[in-house]
Formats: sequence, structure tokens, C-alpha cells
Amino acid sequence: MQATKKEHMICGLFAVFLAAAFGLFIFWPQPEYFMDERRLPAKFPEVSAESLLSGRFMGGFEKYATDAVPFRINFRRLKAVSALYLFHRQDNHGIYLQDGYTAKMEYPLNQANFLRAAERFRYVYDKYLNENNQVFLSLIPDKNYFLAKSSGHLWMDYSWIEETMSRKVDFAEYIGIFDLLKIEDYYQTDTHWRQEKIKPVAERIAQKTGVILPEDYQPKMANPEFYGVYYGQSGLPLPPESLQYLMNQEIQMAQVFDLQNGKEIPVYDETLALGRDGYEMFLSGPLSLIKIENPAAPKDKKMVIFRDSFGSALAPLLIPGYSQIYLADIRYLHPDRLGKYIDFENSDILFLYSTLVLNHSETLK
Amino acid sequence: MLFSSITFLYYFLPIVLGLYFIVPRQWKNSVLLLASLLFYGWGEPKYLFLMTLSIGLGYLFGIGMERQSKHKVRKILCTVSVAISLSFLLYFKYADFFIANFNTATGLSVPLLRIALPIGISFYTFQMISYTMDVYQGEKAQTNIIHLATYIAMFPQLIAGPIVRYSDIAAQLKQRQHSAALAAAGIRRFVLGLAKKILIANQLGELCAAFRVSNEKSVLFYWLYGIAFLFHIYFDFSGYSDMAIGLGKIFGFRFLENFNYPYMAGSITEFWRRWHISLGTWFRDYVYIPLGGNRCSKPRQIINILVVWFLTGFWHGAAWNFIVWGLFFAVFLVIEKSGILSFMQKSKILASFYVLFLVMVSFIIFNAADMKEAVSDIAGLFGGHGVPLVSAEAIYQLRSFAVVLVLAAVGATSLPKTAMEKLISQSSFLGKSISALEPVFLLGLLLMMTGYLADGSFNPFLYFRF
Repeated sequence: MQATKKEHMICGLFAVFLAAAFGLFIFWPQPEYFMDERRLPAKFPEVSAESLLSGRFMGGFEKYATDAVPFRINFRRLKAVSALYLFHRQDNHGIYLQDGYTAKMEYPLNQANFLRAAERFRYVYDKYLNENNQVFLSLIPDKNYFLAKSSGHLWMDYSWIEETMSRKVDFAEYIGIFDLLKIEDYYQTDTHWRQEKIKPVAERIAQKTGVILPEDYQPKMANPEFYGVYYGQSGLPLPPESLQYLMNQEIQMAQVFDLQNGKEIPVYDETLALGRDGYEMFLSGPLSLIKIENPAAPKDKKMVIFRDSFGSALAPLLIPGYSQIYLADIRYLHPDRLGKYIDFENSDILFLYSTLVLNHSETLK
Repeated sequence: MLFSSITFLYYFLPIVLGLYFIVPRQWKNSVLLLASLLFYGWGEPKYLFLMTLSIGLGYLFGIGMERQSKHKVRKILCTVSVAISLSFLLYFKYADFFIANFNTATGLSVPLLRIALPIGISFYTFQMISYTMDVYQGEKAQTNIIHLATYIAMFPQLIAGPIVRYSDIAAQLKQRQHSAALAAAGIRRFVLGLAKKILIANQLGELCAAFRVSNEKSVLFYWLYGIAFLFHIYFDFSGYSDMAIGLGKIFGFRFLENFNYPYMAGSITEFWRRWHISLGTWFRDYVYIPLGGNRCSKPRQIINILVVWFLTGFWHGAAWNFIVWGLFFAVFLVIEKSGILSFMQKSKILASFYVLFLVMVSFIIFNAADMKEAVSDIAGLFGGHGVPLVSAEAIYQLRSFAVVLVLAAVGATSLPKTAMEKLISQSSFLGKSISALEPVFLLGLLLMMTGYLADGSFNPFLYFRF
């Protein structure tokens, strides 16, 4: 008797669950944008005889249906938590949590890509630079450098990276910054370093080029509820963090030109801080070529920084020491085109790259 | 369409179940058939025609055989029908294999046809042959084409089995009982099968994929891969069978079991009585026994075994590694027949290791892209290619998948089922609580799996390619 009751209960529960789920799937409004995953949801595919016969509609619908799951963020969270805590998987989509910090495993070390990056830097040197330029190279360790060894995750051989890159890029003076950084200098939910924590890095780089930076940077709050890129990718329930920036008079007076789109932009764009990727507030995110002019500079000192997204947060801190700073991202702009915009004569040059980007240097043009 | 997809679970299944249980009894097979055609057409719209043609021809030949009283004519009709079914299979699945081997043997360069393999063709062809043979052997031909088409195309087992014999299901096609007890058993079976696929097989699939792309192979990693794939294929395939059997029960059908804890077998002979039972039975009934089976001389028996296992391997795929995989088993089955079985039965542990090791090696061959890769993977188990004993990546993956591997190892035995049944039967508070909470547990599992699907981490079923 009891067994029959249970069987009825299983059938009833299953039927109600499926019916309710079906109703929710049909009527649940799909968001225009997945903020946590930082992407657009798949749209309902076009219905046509061709799309049905070719199977294109079906493929598109599978993607749409997966994105249309009601309470999607909660379901992804359930998966992430069960993977990490129930099945004791060491990572979820390659992302792991250690001491409250998320990091994406960067493994294996791709030696050929580091050598390729060195070759691309040499190409720039041979094309535009000579012994009159002071050339520097600095590498930014990714979060695995601080976390992976103690947590038992896979990590790259960072001593090989530093040794090889400083040897291969022998036309540049290597500025080591690994010793200045610790995990607390990075966001817990994002790839990047915190601008308010990297003043010592800016000071060391400036000092090497013969510039002394001022002490008067003031921290400002841009977004007290910042969620970094790993928040969405990991699916883990992580708390938000504060997105801050450093300001002083010179930075305030500086003029920034987006040469890619031919317009002036702010050093810090607080509206972007509240947008899809808050880190884009620093020099408006991924732009191929930027010129910063500092009318209050004490002397005519110019710098060209070849950089990735980490450079966007560092460059503003260098503004007080230089009259002009160019930031070039050769992932988006071929070095051959730089001569049209930049006068390299008497400029200091800094190649500033994170180990993450160099391990995937196929993106460098 | 995949069972382990949002589309199937939350769009297709609710609509089909709703319609199925709303319509009157006489319409139920039509609903199932339409659903099955949609299910098949969802993945292979262009091959719907091929399947319907196959069903139509099988139907006509079945009727034709029944109307013929002359045995000789019946035999001719049966032969032609089987030949047509096999010709579809040969053309769509094996044409390029034959051309490629012909080119290799002759040095010619006949262009390959590059035909996309129609999903499930191996399964529905064998069901069609089963129907034809059963009618030839005296089973009543199906006069209702809807019933026959429902049998061949029934979506729960259309894509990856189990291969349902017509004689086992003929009566149920016409009349079957639906009950809450059967449906509840079906739901339980379906949800647990889905869990085997999504929570165990897919995770182990990730480990196998990580091994394949790794540049840091080691002996440990080769073993980890071998063991992971051993469990991956079991949970993937048996999970699919569980779902098929479970769905069948919901619709009132009783399909035969396809797996019976094969990794608990004490010999290869026993393993094949527990693994993909429906395929083994099919080959036994329609190939091995007609060839003479055991009732012939020893050499003839060995030839029969080799033929059956050559065909079993070849059925799985048009590549040499599948043929070698089949013959690999044939060799050990012949050895076991020679009397080694009684020796092995003296030590259950030794017998278990013997079976698991051979099956693991066989599946390494099975999963390789070609024989070169198979040999390389097997050599890696013993330190071939000069690989180190361990690597950082292998240790990491071992740590990351340890719990899943342990769950898989325990879940591949009858231990969880026996323990659960014992607990529930004891009428203790714990047993009663477990029993009472079962519906909630099943619902919780469904929700968790929805999380895995929403996160996009699902793999197609391995047996879809056969």
C-alpha cells in the first residue's frame, strides 16, 4: 500500500515538475545579456525550410534552449558547487578557488609561444627602435604564480619564463616585478591586478626610466559591487568586491585620445565601471592605440608601452612622470601601422605583458 | 536529439508524455511514432527518408512472407529483405572503409564517397532484420504499419539500443498495460540512467579528453586514461540503456535488460553475457546458432566464434581497430573454452583483475582513432615511448577525478543496489526514511543534472556513432 503511494508520488511529482518546467521554459523572459557570463544569449533560430532540412534550426534551438533555462545562474551555481564540493573536482572549467581567490589554470607552458612573443618584440625593435631608445621589458605574473603551488593546481615554470624572456629580448632591460606583487594585489574574481595596489610596480618602472612619481594618489571608489570575469565563468557564489582607482591632479588634467576611433576619452570612465566589464573603466578597455598627454609634466619625457589589458590600469599611474604616453596593443594592431601614429625618437619603450597573454602569443600580430 | 539535453528533457518529453497519456489507447502508437520521427529527424532530417523506406520495405516483405505458403519463396523473400537492409548499412556505413582498403591494396585512388553516417542505422537495421527473421521463423507479420514503424523507430531505443527483438515486443505493440507502478519504475530508471550519463560518464569523458590533448603523458596518465575510459563507456552506454528501458516502462513497454554489472564478471565469457546483452543475443540467435553454434566440431566452433566476433567488431565501426577489438575477444573466448575457465574460477580476485585488464585494453583499442594510436596507447601503459612514470598533470587529474573514479568503481558493482534494497527491506527508521525520500531524491538529481546541462558540459553518447 505504502509502495503504491510512493509510486503515485513519484509519478505525480515527475509530471508536475515536467509540466511546470515546460511552462517556465515557454514563458520565462530571456535576458538581453548575461551579465555574469558576459555574453549575449543564443537567440531563437530562424525557421525556414532550409534551416529545418539542413539541421541548422535544430542546432540553433539546442543552444537557445540551453541558454533559456529559467534561473540559469542558480543552476550553473548548483553545478559548480556540486563539482567542487560533492565530486571534489579541483577545478570547474579550469577555474579554481583558493583562499577566496579564483584563478584559471594556465597550463601547460607553451615555450614556442614565449619565443614567438620575443620574436614579435624584436620585430618592433628592428623596425622602429635603436640604441637611442631606452627599452624595457616587464612581465606580470598571473594569479597561478601565487596560488597554484600551495593549492596543488598546475602551474607554469615562471623562472623559465623570466629567464628565457629576459635572455631572448636582450635589447631590453628586464624590470622584474614578481617580488613586488602578492595575491592580495589582484581581484578575487578577476584576472587583473588592482590599480590601488600596484603603485610600487609603477614606481619601479618609472625609476628605471629616470622618473620619480609623486606620492599624492588618492583612492576613489568606482563600483563597490564589482564582479570579475571568473565570477561568471566559474559559476561559483562569490561575493562582489570593490573596484577602485587612483587619482591625482596630473591624472585629472591629462588628455587621452583613442586613436583607433579618433576621439577623446577619459582616463577613468566611471560609467564603464558599472557596465558589463568594470575593468574597462581604465582607459576604456581594449583599444589598439591610445595617446595620453600630460600638460603638467615636469619635463618632456615620452614613453611607448606595448601592453595588454594589465597595462590599462598601470599606465595612468605613470602619467605624472611623462609628457606623453602611447599605449599600443599589437594584438589588435599590426606593428607595421604604428609608424604612422607614433614618433619613437627619444621615447622610452616598455614591453609590459602578462604571462597569460605571452603563453597565447599567437594573438600578437 | 540527446536524452541528456535541455531540448529533450524540458520541451520534447513533456509534450510527448502529455499527448501520449491524453489520447485514447488506439492513438498511442501513432503519438509514439510521430514523436519518434521528430526525435530522429531532429538530428538527421535528411535520413528520415532512409529509415521510412527501410520500414516500408520491411513491412511489405513481412506481409509477403506471411502470405506465401511455399517455404522456398518465403526463404527468398526473407533473404532479399535482409539483403536490402544490410545493403543500406553497407553503403552508408562501410562504403568508404571498403574503398579505402581497396585503394591501399591496389594502389588505386578511387575517390571516397564521404557519406555522413545516419545516426542509429546499425540499431534499426538489426531490429528490421530481427523482425524479418522472426516472421520468417513463424512469428505473425505485423499488418499495421503504424505498429511496425513504432517498433523500429521507437525513440527510447532508436539511437543506441537496446536492440529489441520483434518477438519480445510484438504483443506489447498491440496491447500493453500502463500503471503507476510501471511508470514510477520507469521514471526511477530514467533519472538514474541520466545521472549515470551526466554525473559520471560525462565527467570521465572530460578526463579522457584531457589525456588525449595532453603533451605530458606518463605511465600513470595512460593507466588513468584506460581506467577512466573503462568506466566512461560503461556509464555512458548503460546509462543510455537505463534511460531507454525507463522511458519504455513509462510508455508501458518492457524491454529486456542490456547490462548486468559486466565488470563483476569472472571471465570474458561471462563479461559478454553481462555487456550489451541485446547485441550478444542478436548475434547468438541470428548468426552464431544458424552457423552451427556449439553443435559442431571444435574447429568449426572456433571459426563460428571468429566470424561472430569479427562481425560484432565490424558492427561497431568501419575501421580496423573495431575489427581487432572484436577478434581480441574472440581469442580469449576460444582460450576460455579450452578449459582455462575452471582454473580461473579458483581465485575470484585474480579472475576479476584478468577481466578488467583485458576489457580495459580492449576499450583502449576500441576508442583509438586507428590501430597505430591503439598500439601506442597500450604501449604507454607499460612505459613505451620512454614516457616517465608520473607527470604533474597526471597527478593533478588523478586528484581531480579521484572521487568520480571511486564512485564509478563502486557504482559499476551491484553493491549500491544491494545495500539500498537491504536497508529499505529492514523496515528500520533509516530504511523507511530512505524509501520515503526517494521521490525528493529523484527530483533533486534532476535539478542537479539540469545545472550540468545549463552549464553546457554534455557530450554526445558514445554509441550514437554506431
